[in-house]
Amino acid sequence: MKTYDKGDKLPDHYKECLINLMTFQADSEYAGAQRVAENHRFAPRPEEAYRLSKKVMEEMGHGYYIWNLLRDLGVDVDSRLHELASNSENPDPKIVNVINGFRKENWSAFFECWEDVALFSTVVTPAAVAFLGQYRECSYLPWARVNVRIHKEEHGHLAFGVWASKRCIEFGGEKTREFMQQRIPKFMQMGLGFYGRPSKGDGKSEMFDIYHEYGLKIKTPEELQAEYLELLTDRLGDIGFEVPQGVEADYDMRIGYGVE
Amino acid sequence: MVIPSPDKLVEGNVSVLAKFGYQAFDGADEDWTGMWALLKGDFATAESSVVPDFDAMTPSKQEAAKIYMRRRLIADRFFEECRACQADLYKGIDTEQMERYTLARDAYEDSVNHFGEAREKLEQVLKGIFW
Repeated sequence: MKTYDKGDKLPDHYKECLINLMTFQADSEYAGAQRVAENHRFAPRPEEAYRLSKKVMEEMGHGYYIWNLLRDLGVDVDSRLHELASNSENPDPKIVNVINGFRKENWSAFFECWEDVALFSTVVTPAAVAFLGQYRECSYLPWARVNVRIHKEEHGHLAFGVWASKRCIEFGGEKTREFMQQRIPKFMQMGLGFYGRPSKGDGKSEMFDIYHEYGLKIKTPEELQAEYLELLTDRLGDIGFEVPQGVEADYDMRIGYGVE
Repeated sequence: MVIPSPDKLVEGNVSVLAKFGYQAFDGADEDWTGMWALLKGDFATAESSVVPDFDAMTPSKQEAAKIYMRRRLIADRFFEECRACQADLYKGIDTEQMERYTLARDAYEDSVNHFGEAREKLEQVLKGIFW
């Protein structure tokens, strides 16, 4: 796999694909942090509120990491931050590239209570850990290095989900555990769809083969799904939940990021 | 308000610490009773729903509660520092400001973790378990 470092001349189409994936990650990290900030209203106790606030700061930090690299690639990153900060509920898709699931109108439908907040970090975050983890080995080395940093921090978010879920059960007892168990599938659908459609077959992503060939995407959706399910099974088991069976992926909560 | 130790050796340490910038706190003490009223809900569990008011606690339990609340106050200061860093990033993202923000939020995250550890300790102390 050919690799590139900071300052190297990048082939035009490679650069276009790289910028597309990096802006997608940066804008979505920041928008995701904004959605987490909106969930603050559900925090039932002080420590929950502080731990969620810490998560907001961390996710925004991931956005800054990637934007800082994009600046080196000639992207006007300040306008992206300004758009998200000033128009958080409906940012202009011509300016920013945000995952569908992190758009307010989609996100809000998933959250009705603090238990949902805890479950999101337990059930969806493992997908982010698996998905973003592949970028640690990608062909653009500055992006790979920064994703080592991000991956380590995403593991912390996973710990938050487990902690928050256990606390819900500690305070609410078996009734709460059952209530939460019923809500796992809606988040699992999002988690299963996080890394895109299968790499083979009619519904395959048109762009996957190109990203894979360029070394920008290292793993197939099938490999990422296996990684996700392993992480998810471990975390759900730790809390005392069962892994729901027969859940179908929801691919609409992400976006196809093709480059013409 | 600072209450001096009756031990002269401890008080002698003050002058040494002052060489490195120690200053006696001369502001009003925190409203521990009021702050505790906002935080005590964190200590009501399925096992025990009754949490004492600050003024009803024994001195050792009050001390553990003050440590917990001081940890929260420290977290609040780091939270404010994060917000200040974000304001500067808004003026223009660059490596220097990005790394500055990362340091600030790392400190905030540590302080929130310390707040959580203090809660766990206080939870034990409220049950009469000190070590």
